[in-house]
Amino acid sequence: MRGQTTHPDTDVLAEFDAGLATGRRGARIAAHLAECDRCRALRDELAGISALFAAVPAQAMPDRVAQRLDSALAAEVARRNDSKRARGDSPRHRGPAGRPARNRGWRLVSLRVLAPAAAVVLAVAGYGLSQLPHGSGNLASPSSGMAGAAKPANAPALAPRSGAAARAAPERMGPDSFPFLTSHTNFLPGTLKQQVEAALRVAESAGATQNAPTAVITCVRNVAGSGTPLMVESARYQDQAATIIVMRTSKGEVALVAGAGCSASHGKPLATTTVP
Amino acid sequence: MRDAVEQWPSDAELLRRHVAGDDQAFGELFGRHRDRLWAVALRTICDPEEAADALQDAMVSAFRRAADFRGESAVTTWLHRIVVNAALDRLRRRAARPALSAGDEPAFEALAGSAGDPAHTTDIRLDVDAALRVLPPPQRAALVVVDMLGFSVAEAAVILDISPGTVKSRCARARARLLPHVSHLRGNRSASESVSPAQGGDT
Repeated sequence: MRGQTTHPDTDVLAEFDAGLATGRRGARIAAHLAECDRCRALRDELAGISALFAAVPAQAMPDRVAQRLDSALAAEVARRNDSKRARGDSPRHRGPAGRPARNRGWRLVSLRVLAPAAAVVLAVAGYGLSQLPHGSGNLASPSSGMAGAAKPANAPALAPRSGAAARAAPERMGPDSFPFLTSHTNFLPGTLKQQVEAALRVAESAGATQNAPTAVITCVRNVAGSGTPLMVESARYQDQAATIIVMRTSKGEVALVAGAGCSASHGKPLATTTVP
Repeated sequence: MRDAVEQWPSDAELLRRHVAGDDQAFGELFGRHRDRLWAVALRTICDPEEAADALQDAMVSAFRRAADFRGESAVTTWLHRIVVNAALDRLRRRAARPALSAGDEPAFEALAGSAGDPAHTTDIRLDVDAALRVLPPPQRAALVVVDMLGFSVAEAAVILDISPGTVKSRCARARARLLPHVSHLRGNRSASESVSPAQGGDT
């Protein structure tokens, strides 16, 4: 057959597929492909490479890399704040809504490199929270940009990240610096929402915050995943020791009640509610 | 009481907040994209330790240079560009040193964190990882950005700082070069290289 004697190189076929062979050269290749089964098969193989690569499972960042980045980020933030002070700028930058951060009574320096939005879905599933009204949406795709929608979805299901990562950060940048209160409040199922709202008002007006015990930090990390803890209260729920965790997720704020068994390996909440 | 508008700020908004002095904004932004940024660094460098180094360099660079972002591209494109640059920089520096990473697949496996994957997908991934190593870094970066991460040619051109035509030709050459290394991965979906003529009528 005409043209059959000069099969184009694989390179040439790949360029043709990429739209790089134009004019007479492109026409010659197209004519050859129309007649040559072998080159058509080769071309299919080439097209299959893109499909194969698109299907390779995404890899989540390993925890130790995340920890390292968290430390580096904390150092950068500290460095920036130090240089601001050295220049005489106000060390108190303004919060996202334009209010000085000081007015919030705490500094929510949550190092989100450690726990990205995508992890919340996994943490939620891992702890039996999939019935959460606001916390279980697809948190990853809205931000992943024009290219993001399709592929990150096949990220492997990792276990919820451990709390150990927090230790890498310098103390003033601690990712666990949520406002923490202890109280004797006995939260009850019927009034949980109202009680949480009241507790938030107390936390906001109280200003200063105490340091949460390690067990509480671990619990919060496990339960909250990548949600941002807004307030944590060690109290009671139906007369049992419990930890109330209010956190922000992409779709709203929720409060979770974790029982006494909330630890590194177990954090199934006793109750959840939304917070307006 | 709390700020409803900040519940899901855009990438650009987070970057703006970071430049304005918000301590949390950059971490949240980077965290959103960290797995993809990790993927691009790891696939481009093919060495997890160096990929972590490159990603850290890139993160610090993006943190400091955020004010230079002018919005000509999406924030994700800008972030990927910084990461790819850092990765290629590392590779150029490594090229000046003796090779050191031959035969470290076990370490790669451990670091790349494949635990929990079904064995099948892990196999494909490791084979793809191995195949990628045969490519020169510029071709590898182009293929990773376009075929693995799904960026358009135009976006890839920004990320790689080359013309769209060069993106296309690098990807084309990379695919041609990889073909003998990955045909077996596509299994019985096609009859590559006449190895299994019985399946030749598959298409």
